[in-house]
Amino acid sequence: MRLSECAANAMDDFLWRAGTGGALLGAAAGPLGCFVLWRRMAYLGESVAHMGLLGAGLGLLLGFAPLTGVTATALVAALVMARAPGGPIPVSAFVGMVGHVGLALGFVLLASMETVRADLLGYLFGDVLALSATDVVIVGATAVLTLTTLALFWRSWLALAVSADIARAERRAGKLHEIAFLALVAAIVAVGLRVVGALLIVALILIPPAAARPLARTPEGMAGWAAAIAAASAPLGLAAAYWKDIPAGPSIVLAAAGLFVVASIGARAFGGRA
Amino acid sequence: MDWIAPLISATDLSLTAGGTAILSSVSLSVRAGEIVTVIGPNGSGKTSLLRALMGLVPVDAGEIARKPGLKIGYVPQHFARDRSIPMTVGGFVQLFATAGAARAALDRVGASGLERRQISSLSGGELARALLARAIAGQPELLVLDEPLAGVDIAGEAALYRLIAEIRDEIGCGVLLVSHDLHVVMAQADRVVCLNGHVCCEGKADKVVSDPAFAALFGSRIAGELALYVHRHDHSHPHAASRETLEMKGSAPG
Repeated sequence: MRLSECAANAMDDFLWRAGTGGALLGAAAGPLGCFVLWRRMAYLGESVAHMGLLGAGLGLLLGFAPLTGVTATALVAALVMARAPGGPIPVSAFVGMVGHVGLALGFVLLASMETVRADLLGYLFGDVLALSATDVVIVGATAVLTLTTLALFWRSWLALAVSADIARAERRAGKLHEIAFLALVAAIVAVGLRVVGALLIVALILIPPAAARPLARTPEGMAGWAAAIAAASAPLGLAAAYWKDIPAGPSIVLAAAGLFVVASIGARAFGGRA
Repeated sequence: MDWIAPLISATDLSLTAGGTAILSSVSLSVRAGEIVTVIGPNGSGKTSLLRALMGLVPVDAGEIARKPGLKIGYVPQHFARDRSIPMTVGGFVQLFATAGAARAALDRVGASGLERRQISSLSGGELARALLARAIAGQPELLVLDEPLAGVDIAGEAALYRLIAEIRDEIGCGVLLVSHDLHVVMAQADRVVCLNGHVCCEGKADKVVSDPAFAALFGSRIAGELALYVHRHDHSHPHAASRETLEMKGSAPG
């Protein structure tokens, strides 16, 4: 507690928690987001996040903690939508459609609950300044779980990203690897809902890897840069929010976007690689 | 060689897609050390057969048996050179094998100069070599190649097919190959399977080209040309011919 007390002298306690929670979330969302980018699953991530809002509503309605509802709904949505068969309607359109229906339903559900109505914006754009110490611990545990699994499954996941056909034909990746990936995307989305909200969490999954891409020549390098950029976005965004009195969640996303611009220009100026 | 259990075998495979029969009652097996080539016109189900064998598409009927723990090296028909993944050719091959094996494999296919290049920057022919190197780097027991030489020029194509046969000799793997280049295929295959939704004919190259079913499928002009070609080839490569007769028992025309 000594450390946090010292920090509290320098700045407000809630800012300290917000910065730590946001940075931990970013450190995990960045590398995981690389795989979302490589496997072209941005649509899936977005729909899972939108369904998360429905999960929060269902959780409150049935008397669970909203986080439990969000995690469960996001997980089911990820597992079901990843298996959506391609038909006359493209999979991406179908997945996007389901996600938005979930978002609409969730919004209607939350708005019908008088006690929650005031918090609606928090569900959509996050409420990072209201993170409790427990929230930070939950975010941290999710981040550790994500990064550990990522390290363990790195080769299989990367093989799937490079060529799913090769990975499956040669039995280098199985159902376990696929399910673990989707489960972690759902988990990051669920804890990220508190930080940047259902509408913006996917930005934190996609922008840092996109910013990292021109800086890297290897997948490992790209994951490392994505972790650093996403983690740095949280304190940077909070600083901007504190200074200019703007909403914190969107400010974190804008900080990530700013780092994307800096990385793109920087890579070009210093003889951009690849 | 009938007494050796096949590395992989399919029995009476049937596959439909969107109400259309793609494969009906197709049986096929590959043993260690033999090169089996599947040929057939466009839409004959060659790629579907390979994908079904690899477990990439579910089949409607039939059985697929793999030798337990079979090590496969697969070169798919399509490989997206994805620019979003920063990856060198060396890193790509090392993802599936040790650094030493990766370097040796790249060397073997004449692609050691590509090691530090980004995958996304490769030409079609360079990519074909990188994919072949990746497939052999793990010392597979079975090499499965689906039109592996798209983008390779004609001279390079003949050389690469010779290389595949040499690799077979070196590591003793079975090879299952889909191709539409009949000339090169005929020169290297131990056994040719002629597919058109079902197995039309099957056997040694010279037998298959003189089969009426082959002429019906590809036209008698091509069949006649190839019969001449195979004949000439047999005479200019007695070693290859004797290997064919040794390993071709038990694969009577279907």
